[in-house]
Amino acid sequence: MKRTFRFFAVAAACAIAPLHVTAQDKVIRVGVLMPISGPASYFGVMGKEGIDLALEQLKAGVNGYRLQVQYEDSACSPLQATNTVKRVLEQFKPHVVIGEECSDASLAIAPILDQAKVPMLNAGSVTMKLTESGYKYVFRIFPNAEQQSIPLAKNAYDKLNARTAVILYEKTNAGNDNAEGFEKLFIAAGGKVLAKIDFGRDVNDFTPIATRIASLGKVDVLPTFALEGQQVRLAQALAQAKVVRGGGGNAIQMGSIWLPYGFDQKAGQAAEGYIRIVQFDPTEKRKAVQDFVAAFRAKYGADKVPTHINAHAYDAVMLVAEAVRRGATDQESIRDRFSKMKDVEVTTGRITFDPKGQNSDLSVIHFVETQKDLSWKGLSW
Amino acid sequence: MKLRIAVAVLVIALAPLLLQTPYWRGILIVCAMNVLLALSLNLVIGYTGQLNLGQSAFFAIGAYVSTILTKTYGWNFWLAVPVAIAAAGVLGLALAAFAVRLRGHYLAIASLGFAVITYQVLINWERVTEGVRGIYGILPPPGFRDQLALFYLVAGIALVVYLVLGNLVRSPIGETLRAIREDEVSAASLGINAARWKAFAFGVGAAIAGLAGCFYPGFVGTLVPEAFNIVESFTMMAMVIVGGMGTMIGPVIGAVVLTFLPELLRSVGELRLLVYGVALTLVVLFMPGGLVQIGAALRRKPA
Amino acid sequence: MTDIAALVAQQAINGLYLGCLYVMVALGLTLIYGVLNQINFAHADFVTVGAFAAFFVATRFATKALGLADTTGYLVSIVVAFGVGAILGALVNAAVFAPLRERGDELRPLIATIGVSVLLENGQLALFGPIPYQFDSPFTRETIRIGRIFFTQQSVVVVLVAAVSVAALYAFLRLTFLGKALRAVSQDRETAGLMGINPSLLIALTIVISSALAGMAGALLGPVLVLTPFAGASVIVKAFAIVIIGGFGNLEGTILAGILVGVIEAFTVQYLGSGVIDLVVFVLLLVMLAIRPTGLVAERKEENV
Repeated sequence: MKRTFRFFAVAAACAIAPLHVTAQDKVIRVGVLMPISGPASYFGVMGKEGIDLALEQLKAGVNGYRLQVQYEDSACSPLQATNTVKRVLEQFKPHVVIGEECSDASLAIAPILDQAKVPMLNAGSVTMKLTESGYKYVFRIFPNAEQQSIPLAKNAYDKLNARTAVILYEKTNAGNDNAEGFEKLFIAAGGKVLAKIDFGRDVNDFTPIATRIASLGKVDVLPTFALEGQQVRLAQALAQAKVVRGGGGNAIQMGSIWLPYGFDQKAGQAAEGYIRIVQFDPTEKRKAVQDFVAAFRAKYGADKVPTHINAHAYDAVMLVAEAVRRGATDQESIRDRFSKMKDVEVTTGRITFDPKGQNSDLSVIHFVETQKDLSWKGLSW
Repeated sequence: MKLRIAVAVLVIALAPLLLQTPYWRGILIVCAMNVLLALSLNLVIGYTGQLNLGQSAFFAIGAYVSTILTKTYGWNFWLAVPVAIAAAGVLGLALAAFAVRLRGHYLAIASLGFAVITYQVLINWERVTEGVRGIYGILPPPGFRDQLALFYLVAGIALVVYLVLGNLVRSPIGETLRAIREDEVSAASLGINAARWKAFAFGVGAAIAGLAGCFYPGFVGTLVPEAFNIVESFTMMAMVIVGGMGTMIGPVIGAVVLTFLPELLRSVGELRLLVYGVALTLVVLFMPGGLVQIGAALRRKPA
Repeated sequence: MTDIAALVAQQAINGLYLGCLYVMVALGLTLIYGVLNQINFAHADFVTVGAFAAFFVATRFATKALGLADTTGYLVSIVVAFGVGAILGALVNAAVFAPLRERGDELRPLIATIGVSVLLENGQLALFGPIPYQFDSPFTRETIRIGRIFFTQQSVVVVLVAAVSVAALYAFLRLTFLGKALRAVSQDRETAGLMGINPSLLIALTIVISSALAGMAGALLGPVLVLTPFAGASVIVKAFAIVIIGGFGNLEGTILAGILVGVIEAFTVQYLGSGVIDLVVFVLLLVMLAIRPTGLVAERKEENV
């Protein structure tokens, strides 16, 4: 009796075991390199929120595959990024890596991932070099410096009739690239750049800079590339110096997708007349966007509005899921599905990767102007 | 002493065989560089008693001079290294000029100012350094492209520097430096030219840091000024103090511990740096002699 | 007013305002150094803590819970930040400075303060997160214009509070018994002890006052800074430069140096570019150290052999 019982127990265990093993096998491992410590954790914290939300929605799996994520802290530095990408490659053996946010760190890990033949999905870096260096495994859904600056420069000249500009930018790789992108095109179109003013991330009071701009004569546009904290202070100083529309002046501030929704409320009247390109607009009526905003609020609190950083990170995971849905099961097939993607809809627009790995579909990017009541008015440019 | 060297050679030879993956071997290379940096700083702070908060400047000079010479001007790496070392050493002598006239905290802030100025020059002199854009595609020294080889190279250099410095501090020069550390006024009354020996210590310390800097860009592959902000100086100092200031083995221990500890704490995740800060404060509070104290205490225990 | 005159005047006022901000931060530093011969690297983080304390009191507590007016709420928050700074200082002194005091070397307390700084920064990061908080005091929104010159009410508040603090500190040090005792301890700890003054108590008092000043500086700076746990780090190195340029432990020198650095910064932005601010300030620092190491307003300190 005991023997029979034991036999059946063992047989049952053997029957179940393979099933268990199979369930464990069907995992898609996603490595995530984000700045989780230091000041750059501004990006990492928001990125993680977006990714966690996506994972929650994909709990049931895709095509029988479960998505498993490992976070590594690359702290926005090439050294740490290099170390953590090696660590994640050996210990986690990911099928795809999402990262990094800062251009320096992204450029540091790109060659390593390319060589390891692991697809890299970048959702936050601006530098042109990422997709201009001939990497086969690097994909980026974030608009690069040219894609951000060229529409700004073109429309400043054509639609706003701007002939003079003062470019303001933070002293980082991203700020540099954006500023140069604008400068080149604006000058080529015939405009004049009166000054290119850069500042470190530790500058807090912008009154001296605003005063200087006020002394430069007639300025038509002020393209600005900095993070929201500094941009709020900058806008307020510019208004106080009566340089910009919001303060009674004539210059128009222009910005790219760096600024999240809610910036205008923080900056107050100073933001009036601000013209910028947005990609992720939480008020956009598109279902994908509204569903995302609702889910985000449900998870993180009704008073929180998702930013583009949340949205891009969320989209990155969703794209991986989409690749799996189309039959990808490993690094090569994920890479293959990415390269073939056309018109895939995500919260930040539509994804079509060009041969260099850059998303070339900018159909969602549009211009908005901040009104007197601080709401956005879409411009049909 | 001979035993120590043998152990060191053994550890260096075996470490990469125990830690075989690219990640851990990478950490070993970083560790070897940190040992060099800690040794260099210890000479100035530990043995000569000069409060130097700007060592990251010399590390940066070594990295940038060697990289610019090899990448922009096509120099052979092995020719660029002595130039980089010399450049760092000269800058060290410049800082020494301040050290001659300043004591204690004045010197500390002056050295900090030195580091900030160097960092700012690297950021702003874009024509030469590429500024915040960074320099990319930097390869390790020719012949040492493989990680294993690079580790043996840097660790070997660290060992040689350790031996040379060890002999230096046991020689009359070392006594002179220690005399300056203990009581500069009395030292002067003994006929010691403090200015000359401070310059010596700063210069040699800077040169060694510059030497470490030569291998850094090749390992990471990219070079950005952000890697040399003044927080790096504090990390170097922490290694010296936590390990045991004024001893030879102390900085080595400090470098090893403070290189591996953050990596091992990675699994702790977001609280990593918090734990790091707590550990640092506790060691400084309760083990003023550094981790070396533990070894000394163990040795003093009756057999 | 001619264009150039208006420009120069405006940047001078900008510089004065900036300078007063730096002075508020540097005051506590120079006080600690003067009495204790100690550099406190965690000072900037005390400022940040004060700023966050003021933020929560002004925007959440005073206005919402207590129903006070905006301006009263902000002024209350300044007082609260002062108190928070004092408490934090007392805690850090008891835990870190006091145990290290007997050992008499200069380096270890320095490293300990670095450790405390890392702790405070990352602790605040864990509590508050890295996303900037929008701290607008009711005074930052009001601009005062005189001809072509402008400044905000906040700058007036800052200059006023800075002036009052400096005056109060001065009076305390020169006129009260405690203050004189502090100066005695700074000049010769042993002898002061022999005269019946309790050095440890006084030292604790110094740190508490210094940290309270830092907290208050945080309340004033909060509406100006980009408020994250790393806000203090953006001003601390310049604050040290100011303390040195002015002369460690020297009150008048620090004020002079702070305002000087602020004005230099404003004019550097105008004529050289904001990217080189740090470079100019620190070159100035090194030049000062080379030609006049004891500071702008020198106090001859003899070194006991």
